[in-house]
Amino acid sequence: MKTILLLEDLPEIRSWLKSLVTQVFPNAQIVECARVHDALAQVTAQKFELALVDLGLPDGSGVDVVTALRESQPEALSVIVTIHDDDEHLFPALQAGAYGYILKEQSRELITEQLQRISQGEPPLSPSIARKVIAYFAAQNKPQANALPHVSLTERESEVLLRVAKGFTLPEIGVQLGLSRHTIADYVKQIYRKLNVSSRAEAALEAQRLGLFRR
Amino acid sequence: MLHNRCTANPNPCRPLVNRARWLCLRMTVWLLAVASAGLVHGAPTTPSLRFTQALAVAADTEWFPDLPRARSVQLPDDWAVTHPGDVSAVWYRVSFDADGARDSGELMALYIERACSSVQVLLNGKLIHVSGRLTEPVSRNCQRPQLIAFSGALLEPRNNQLDLKVAGFPVHRVASHQRAGGLSVVELGPHSALVAKHRWRTAFAVNLPQVITGSLVLVGSLIFAMGWVNRAQSFLAYYGALLIGWALVLSRQWVSDMPWPNASSEFLLAILASFVTFAAVQFLMRYGGERRRWIDIGLPVQCAVMPLSLMVAGPQRLHAMATFWYLVLALQIAVAAVHYLRKAWLLRRQQFWLMAALGGAMALAAALEFIAQQFALDQRVVDAAQLLPPLMFMGLGLRMVQQYGRALHDAQQDRLELERRVQDAAVQIERNFAQLADMKVEQVTERERKRIAADLHDDLGAKLLTIVHTSDNERISTLAREALEEMRLSVRGLTGKPVPLLNALGDWRAEVMSRLSQAGVDGHWQAPTEEDVPQVLSARAYVQTTRILREAVSNIIKHSGASRCTVRCTIAKGDFQLIVQDNGKGIPMELDGRLDRGHGMASMKHRAKQLQGQCLVESGPGYGTVIRLTLPIDRHVAPA
Repeated sequence: MKTILLLEDLPEIRSWLKSLVTQVFPNAQIVECARVHDALAQVTAQKFELALVDLGLPDGSGVDVVTALRESQPEALSVIVTIHDDDEHLFPALQAGAYGYILKEQSRELITEQLQRISQGEPPLSPSIARKVIAYFAAQNKPQANALPHVSLTERESEVLLRVAKGFTLPEIGVQLGLSRHTIADYVKQIYRKLNVSSRAEAALEAQRLGLFRR
Repeated sequence: MLHNRCTANPNPCRPLVNRARWLCLRMTVWLLAVASAGLVHGAPTTPSLRFTQALAVAADTEWFPDLPRARSVQLPDDWAVTHPGDVSAVWYRVSFDADGARDSGELMALYIERACSSVQVLLNGKLIHVSGRLTEPVSRNCQRPQLIAFSGALLEPRNNQLDLKVAGFPVHRVASHQRAGGLSVVELGPHSALVAKHRWRTAFAVNLPQVITGSLVLVGSLIFAMGWVNRAQSFLAYYGALLIGWALVLSRQWVSDMPWPNASSEFLLAILASFVTFAAVQFLMRYGGERRRWIDIGLPVQCAVMPLSLMVAGPQRLHAMATFWYLVLALQIAVAAVHYLRKAWLLRRQQFWLMAALGGAMALAAALEFIAQQFALDQRVVDAAQLLPPLMFMGLGLRMVQQYGRALHDAQQDRLELERRVQDAAVQIERNFAQLADMKVEQVTERERKRIAADLHDDLGAKLLTIVHTSDNERISTLAREALEEMRLSVRGLTGKPVPLLNALGDWRAEVMSRLSQAGVDGHWQAPTEEDVPQVLSARAYVQTTRILREAVSNIIKHSGASRCTVRCTIAKGDFQLIVQDNGKGIPMELDGRLDRGHGMASMKHRAKQLQGQCLVESGPGYGTVIRLTLPIDRHVAPA
């Protein structure tokens, strides 16, 4: 990792996170921001490989930064770093294109490990998020669900989601399905990606319906 | 005599039935006998005389003028034919013999069916009768039959002279031919023979019109008042006006003395026709549910134009002008009637028949009137024809009153129904309002909860987080982290919705198993599969159970030194049970026999108690620890 965006409004936490990120990616260039406005400016100014984004900020939500990154730099990895662990807050960020989330109060060791895993392509997935994803795709696949470019989960992806929802950990699921840890991680990544694609298509359709694209 | 013959029946002792029949027959015969006896008694001994010829001369003198112009005329005499000029009085003289009349001692009478407009009678030079004023304003007695009773002693056996002076008006000065001057056939005979004729004629020509006039005014006023009050049914007002107008027209039959000259009376009668037409046409239009602006304006204008035209024409041409107008007005009514009937035929078939009958009667009456003016018809037929329309009017009027009454009744019913509906609606609105208020309260509460939750996260959460990551003291940062978790759970308990037990089990499993595996403890999880778990947990029960479980797992990781941990969830007999068992070294007893407080056992128990459940801890050195959490399912695990 070479360039990393760090968006966090609390100075103490920001410096703590910076030290942590420096530890994980020693040679990286870290751009610090405290506001959504600044972060958006940075996103248009330079390329990032990783972005650690807080959700609740003084001038808005980090979800906007995730969206902007997803649109202008699809290769960048967005990770939510937040105090909220409920899916009401997390799910929109995941839909916007975030590849996983980290809870801020966790110990340094745990966060370090999670960060490493995410950067290696192993995003976390909690049962409640898994249930939300299942419900979302179930609603998308209903017959009347408008003329969306059809994005649906494969049988395997659904299987993984169902097991996560029941409380099985990713290694456990790997054992149950006779798949490697990396394969399971790929499924989860794929699920996040599909969630984002489908959500974006839905948003575009909604905007069209509202007449925003009339010009 | 007949009577006597009947009682002389030779067979009085027949069987009972025959006797009864005979009795019946005898009674009938007796009645006939009495009746015929009366007739026989009343039969005049002197025959009546009918004068169909008279000597006539036009002169307004006090006595029969001795003029050479006198000539013989046929009775009934019509001035329009025999005296076409501007005549105001005509003398008639009839000479006759009356053998035996004087000696019979009977009361004699002279019957004049029509002497238009007023008559003075002299018999043998003696004045015996004046029907009314003979000078202006002349009494209007054209329709009133005259019966003049006099003593037979006034008659001579030979060469009696009967002089009649008739005061009247030439046809061009009156609005109707009916009131043009003239004299009918004159009859002379015993009073008893002529009185019935006179009575009959009076009844038809005077009494019945009087009665009907009164009734028409009464019914008309009533209907007019109904229409006046209820403007939506304006046809009622016009109908009332029509009836009153017709009553005034009918009153010409019996009102004889007016304080103003005859010309004025004729003028008023003529213009009355325009008002009757106004009322009739408007009634027909409104009754048919139609309203035309040009008619609303045109008819009153016509009511003004007609008198003006009559005035311009002058009294000399009153009859011609009035006849023209009558035709015009009759045509208007006919057109309106046809228009109405066509509409009624299409829309209201029931009303059509009644109105068609009325229209037919009117047409018949008009036709008879017209025929009577051209040819000689029985006067009684003409009378009946004249009385037919007002009777029909009255019938329709009564029907309208009935309809009005029924409409009133219906309106009352509708009002009651409406009241009931309004009441229902009011109840419904109140109920909705109450529901809305409840929803509003819920919304406000929900918003407030969210606000508190956001505040907690932003403010308290941020501070605790800072402590977690900036404190050098491991214990303080652990406490702060735990406080943060507590806060988060509290917020979830505050704002959360009920959680399906199945989802709760998934969350718990993921947390417990990943923590145990990270700590290197061999974790085992046993829980019912999804088909068996339809229940939901309240947000509070979910949060408290999560805390207890978290605390128990923390204890195992931190203190027990166990290598293996089994978690079992069961739902049985209305209880939800969670058993956490490890193979560690157990919890050391304190001096007072209680379990170590540092392991958080007290807070676990306290939380279980808050949920009306219990948390039992079985432990002994070397035996591991078993924690049994039991929650009543009926309170905290409600069926989905």
